[in-house]
Amino acid sequence: AQGADITLRATANSNENDEDYDGLVVFKDYVEKASNGAIAVELFIGTQLCSTGAECLQGIADGSIDIYISTSGGASGIFPYVQVLDLPYLLRDDRVAEAVLTEGPFVRAMREQMLADSGDKIRLMTIGNTGGWRNFANTKREVRSPADLAGLKIRTVVADLPQELVRAMGASPTPIPWPELFTSFQTGVVEGTQNGITDIMGMKFPDAGLKFLTLDGHSYMGALWYMNNDRFMGMDASMRRVIVDGFAALQQATFASPKRKSIDAYKAFAEAGGSVYVPSMEEKAQFKEAAAPVFDWFKANVDGGTTFYDLLVAEAAKATEEIDAGAALDTK
Amino acid sequence: MTAILTVLRPLAHLNTFLLRIGRTAAWMAMAAMVIIIMLQVVFRYAFNNALAWPDEAARFLMLWMTGLIAPSAYRWGGFVAIDMIKDMLPRRLGSLLGLLLLLLSLVVLIYGFRLGLNHVSSGWLFNSSSLKFPLDFLGLGLVRVKLAWMYMSLPVGLLLMSLVNVELCLKALAHLIDPEADLPEDHDRVLVAVE
Amino acid sequence: MLFFFLPLFLLFLMIGLPVFFGMLAAPGLLLWLNGQERDIALLYRNVYTGMDSFPLMAIPFFMLAGELMNRGGITMRIVEFSQALIGHLKGGLAHVNILSSMLFAGLSGSAVADVSALGSMLIPAMEKNGYTRRFAAAVTAASSVIGPIIPPSGIMIIYAYVMGESVAALFLAGILPGILVGVGLMIVVALMARQNDFPAASARASWPEKGRASLKAFYPLMTPVIILGGILGGVFTPTEASAVAAVYAFIVALFILKTMGWADLPQVLTKAAMTTSVVLLLVGAAMAFKTVVSLSHAPEIMAAFILGLTDEPLLLLFLINLLLFVVGMFLDAGPAIIILAPILAPIFTELGVHPVHFAIIMSVNLTVGLATPPMGLVLFITSSVSGEKVETIAKAILPFLAVEILVIFLITFVPQISLFMPQLFGFAR
Ligand code: NA
Ligand code: NA
Repeated sequence: AQGADITLRATANSNENDEDYDGLVVFKDYVEKASNGAIAVELFIGTQLCSTGAECLQGIADGSIDIYISTSGGASGIFPYVQVLDLPYLLRDDRVAEAVLTEGPFVRAMREQMLADSGDKIRLMTIGNTGGWRNFANTKREVRSPADLAGLKIRTVVADLPQELVRAMGASPTPIPWPELFTSFQTGVVEGTQNGITDIMGMKFPDAGLKFLTLDGHSYMGALWYMNNDRFMGMDASMRRVIVDGFAALQQATFASPKRKSIDAYKAFAEAGGSVYVPSMEEKAQFKEAAAPVFDWFKANVDGGTTFYDLLVAEAAKATEEIDAGAALDTK
Repeated sequence: MTAILTVLRPLAHLNTFLLRIGRTAAWMAMAAMVIIIMLQVVFRYAFNNALAWPDEAARFLMLWMTGLIAPSAYRWGGFVAIDMIKDMLPRRLGSLLGLLLLLLSLVVLIYGFRLGLNHVSSGWLFNSSSLKFPLDFLGLGLVRVKLAWMYMSLPVGLLLMSLVNVELCLKALAHLIDPEADLPEDHDRVLVAVE
Repeated sequence: MLFFFLPLFLLFLMIGLPVFFGMLAAPGLLLWLNGQERDIALLYRNVYTGMDSFPLMAIPFFMLAGELMNRGGITMRIVEFSQALIGHLKGGLAHVNILSSMLFAGLSGSAVADVSALGSMLIPAMEKNGYTRRFAAAVTAASSVIGPIIPPSGIMIIYAYVMGESVAALFLAGILPGILVGVGLMIVVALMARQNDFPAASARASWPEKGRASLKAFYPLMTPVIILGGILGGVFTPTEASAVAAVYAFIVALFILKTMGWADLPQVLTKAAMTTSVVLLLVGAAMAFKTVVSLSHAPEIMAAFILGLTDEPLLLLFLINLLLFVVGMFLDAGPAIIILAPILAPIFTELGVHPVHFAIIMSVNLTVGLATPPMGLVLFITSSVSGEKVETIAKAILPFLAVEILVIFLITFVPQISLFMPQLFGFAR
């Protein structure tokens, strides 16, 4: 950091095996080079500076942290509408999700709203990915359709939306703090969870009995990257451009990283005795149908829910159409 | 000396009064925590219907319990410290060191209180994820608890501890001037520290 | 510059600033001198969030359970039970003191609770029986460190909280080391008893007498069975188990033994709340302190230094034992774990030491530090319970300390002592 005019302090509550870290490394490298050393980026990986979404976002708001990544769950206390990303089966696959998040009005609209809601303190920089897609995993049995989930105690965070989803599937939402989850699988306090494969392997959940994974891919694990707005706006235009491009590079890195990492994670999962089930098109449709009440719940109960739901659905439709049209040309 | 005692006496009374309220609220919070956690276990294990709010509600109570009762512990010497050097020094010098340490603690308390106010004010932005009151009958709909209500526990505790600290400072000062001085006692202390 | 917060902290501590203030004043002052005002806000926020944790709630609940047991006359029943079993041995009451500590450890999570509950009863009894007060105090202090080694355990909850380990695994892992410490202490007592001709406490109890004492102690002794059984059976989480333990103690005291009334409750709750508040503030301050530790990049420097010494795990473990022992002399086990575990544990797991094994090494080592001068919390409390001077107890405790250090080395170099139980129940590989 010696000699730099600006030192940015970035933190992610994960570890160095996480895709968040990959993104930050790319960001740091890009920004430090492109600014010719004028900007230095200091990385704090883990919970040394702050440990929860609410707490870290406060750090962003009061300026003690410059850059932070939260999941949608971590931000739902202050920006409830980010949970739109948790709505199941809205984004068809990686290509659609990436197209929606890369350019276009969705992220910009959300940035506007977040600035307004945080008194111009918290600036959304980009939305990447952290861990691929959320799937149902459990300790009890192979789940092929929603009917198989009936009665299972599924761990959720305390936020409403994930609980509504689990309830819609006929399972029993069970809030367990993340640090107690491993033990809770071991002892049977809970029987399932909704996480990406890299988190499952990162926490060694198969050791605790988590063996059955169903790749229903119900929600995209969006990673929301923020910066303190004053810090950002306090830089001159050329430096701001460097930062913006840095976040674009970061986003691309976090899109790619889980795809690469999940290969090893799935292999490790299989080696730990886990089995993976990929639902058929019909079964996936059943999941989507079972989830229908969640959409109504979201639009009726979440502030700004309807706006962002409509926007995401429209953007997803547009992206799907473009991608399919392109694919039609490419396959000719 | 008279000046010190004129300030000290009412302050000691005020502290005795405030801390008594704090302790009462604290033990009730502790009891409520136990009940809430038991509810959580029963609902999840017996009824297979886990509740979302006990985790946050119990933490809410634990933080307030700490903020409200720690000042009593502070007043009664419950904060762990090494008194070796103070005891080795000649009496006057030892008292003087004690006073300096109290003043240093006061700086920490007041600085912390100020930071606490900032923390609380940012807490008005954040909704609790599981604590909410259905106030439909007041026409308010579902009102989510702001995290500021939770954050407030620590600055309140620090403020009470500052009051206690000032009392202890005045006592130390009086003691320094006249070791035989008749200082106000806190009779509640006997109540809790029986063993 | 920031690196000096550690010496400054030690200085504050030595001149008598309470640990809570020292942990905030030292880094705060340096940050302020450094012009890093924004990091002082960070310091504050970490005090708050350090306390705002669900798993930490086990601390107030186990405090409460211990307080209820004590007030409800449950402690007395445990002592009577121990006496019926081994009171007839030479040095009977000293043995009873140790066995009671081991049994009490199954109900309480802290050494302090152990000393204040058992000390106030057994030290006067031992004096009456012809032991010197210093010896009685030393046995009490030395055996009380078993409290947080045998589950439940406040410091293992803190360790699991900081390092993301399984609480159930750590609890199970503590059982054998705790018993080992107890047996070691009993051997010392037996040797001393032969040399100094210690008295037996009572005639050998007949089988009916033993039966009656067991029956009276039955409900209290069921507590660990309920706690561990409930956790292992998936009825509740370790945190919830602590609340269950408190409710169970409450039911036993109020309705089964009827040794306590509703009117006693506010006082019991107040005491538990007060002890808890001090511990929680310390945990919060330690979490804040840890933040500054990482801002100063001390962990990286320290890790590099340690690994630079040698990469032979056994030698490193030996060195770390020395370090922890010294740290334990100055710092409470809880704050020491919060500050040091994130620095040390990754180094050793990297070298192939089992994380649960390392957790036990660290916990036992720091717990024993509670009974060593100059900053031994247990010594202070034993002193206030017995009326004997800290220095005097510190001298009398030396032979017991020697055995405890021996046990620490045994635990360090024989991982199976820690790992056998968690592996048996499938909580560790
Ligand atoms: Na214990
Ligand atoms: Na004992």
